[in-house]
Amino acid sequence: MRDDVWLVIAGMAAATYLTRAPLLLALARRPLPPRLRLWLRLIPLAVLPALAVPMILVTRDGGAARLAASLGHPPLWGAIVVFVLAARRVNLLVTVAIGVAVVAFLRALG
Amino acid sequence: MREGLVASLALVPSVFVYGTVFGGLAVQAGLRPLEVLGMSVFVFAGASQFVAIPMLAAGAPALAIVVTTYVINMRHYLMAATLAPSFRTFPRGWLALVAHVINDESFAVAVARRNPPDPWVFIGSALAVSGAFLAGVSVGTPLGGLVADPARWGLDFAFPAVFLALVALQLRRRADWLVALTAAVVAVAVALVLPGTWHVIVAGVVVSTVGMLALSPEDA
Repeated sequence: MRDDVWLVIAGMAAATYLTRAPLLLALARRPLPPRLRLWLRLIPLAVLPALAVPMILVTRDGGAARLAASLGHPPLWGAIVVFVLAARRVNLLVTVAIGVAVVAFLRALG
Repeated sequence: MREGLVASLALVPSVFVYGTVFGGLAVQAGLRPLEVLGMSVFVFAGASQFVAIPMLAAGAPALAIVVTTYVINMRHYLMAATLAPSFRTFPRGWLALVAHVINDESFAVAVARRNPPDPWVFIGSALAVSGAFLAGVSVGTPLGGLVADPARWGLDFAFPAVFLALVALQLRRRADWLVALTAAVVAVAVALVLPGTWHVIVAGVVVSTVGMLALSPEDA
């Protein structure tokens, strides 16, 4: 293996910290105007589906991205089950366990 | 803090298994065990670590790996901004530490439980997630990975499942549905054309900003 692995790790650590610390430190101290508070409330509502839905509907094999929205796509069924259970306020651990089981079962069939 | 730990239990098995997979892959790619653990402690950002391993093995320039890491992790800016007001009473030294453990899963748990998020729920969740990840890496590194294909057991699905469940808990008003659905559509469209995690950054910034401008602040 190359001899600059620790240098790369240090660079990765610094680059990642630069995405985490500045706004946490900058915005923690001052009172925020209402419009900024609205923006901060909307961020999770936008970020969480933006994380989740492509993980369910977009497959990436070796760089080529493809929409996988067919009925034979196990994560689609898992997602429907999870959404319904969560909306009915079923415990998160139970919801996720059932979702994982549904996907594993459908993959074992397929 | 207990609440955050308990709320994160659904993720612990998957985070642990992905830790073992990362440890196994990294060792097979030629990293020394101490380097694998060091990266997991000091970078502590799973997606970017998985991307860095093949780049390291293929002899990519150090700068290219660092820049790729930065781009993949830019989504943390959004999470840090959202979490910041909750940590108002914390000393700066604490904030510097808390910043390092910002991760998708704990962010999701904290924002879904309370609005604005509770700092101790976040810290409890970050302890559970980082503990599970580092334990997984420590186990997977000497063994070369425990589970060869986590997807076979549906374990990959635990991550979108948690994010989706936590969105469902937050949909209270009509505007919430509109923001969440728009973000999902934009993210899928962007994910089809751009690599990495650009879809999270683009959908997160664009949709929350349009929402901020379109809705009235009383909706906050």
